[in-house]
Amino acid sequence: MTETKDQAKLLVALQDLDHMIKEVQDTQTSTELKDMGFQMDNIGELKNARDKITAQIRPQLLNRYERVSRTYDRTVVPVVNELCTGCFAKVPTSFRYEKHAVMTCESCGRILYFI
Amino acid sequence: MAARGLVSYFQEPLCIFELTSTSKRDALAEMVDAICTQHRIKDRDIILEMLLNRESLGSTGIAQGVAFPHGRTLAVRGLSLVFARSSAGIDFDAMDNEPTHLFFLIIAPPQDKDNLYLQVLGQIVNLIKDDSVRERFLAAKDYGELRQVLEQAAS
Repeated sequence: MTETKDQAKLLVALQDLDHMIKEVQDTQTSTELKDMGFQMDNIGELKNARDKITAQIRPQLLNRYERVSRTYDRTVVPVVNELCTGCFAKVPTSFRYEKHAVMTCESCGRILYFI
Repeated sequence: MAARGLVSYFQEPLCIFELTSTSKRDALAEMVDAICTQHRIKDRDIILEMLLNRESLGSTGIAQGVAFPHGRTLAVRGLSLVFARSSAGIDFDAMDNEPTHLFFLIIAPPQDKDNLYLQVLGQIVNLIKDDSVRERFLAAKDYGELRQVLEQAAS
């Protein structure tokens, strides 16, 4: 597995975690889950896990993630049928085979994830 | 969403009637593997990590031998549900400290805007509160019987 591949996966894991933290902090969702009987008390554990992930991401890439996340709720988006699912702009086919960089959408700047 | 619609989320290849795992982590991995095989998902580790992170927030082993591991991840394309069972029971850090026998694992992509996964989760949690439904989930011998349990519970 290439280092780039690892970095892309780490960004996906980071976004998953950020969404989870947001869900816990969202009153409506967390109330709904707590009403079902789920415990959601250890948010500190999620923050620790986030620190561990961010420590493995290249600073430049992490900055890009943080910057894009200020604009969009979904910073990393899957590419489906060669389209960025954030803005639905066409993604060049060659991006899928790029081995040396984590690719971003040329139209909206979101980070692309090839499922 | 009508409870009847729940049946459509239970796919035969994603029903594990006897888990081989004996630990929490391995049980989650076994269920994730079923999803990855069925849906040809390559990034298994991302899904597993998300579920383990969710468990660190608080066990999804609610009580009465049932757990609902759940969460959202970009690594899946659509809502996936795994039904799994362990006769011996697995220590899942359940709230009542009892072994867990029934598992309903639900994962969805973040772009699930209608919060379908919360609706499905809520439906199953409600069903399983009924002792007789829980017993029938435990007793179902195969996929056909499992479908019957779901259809009868919805009627």
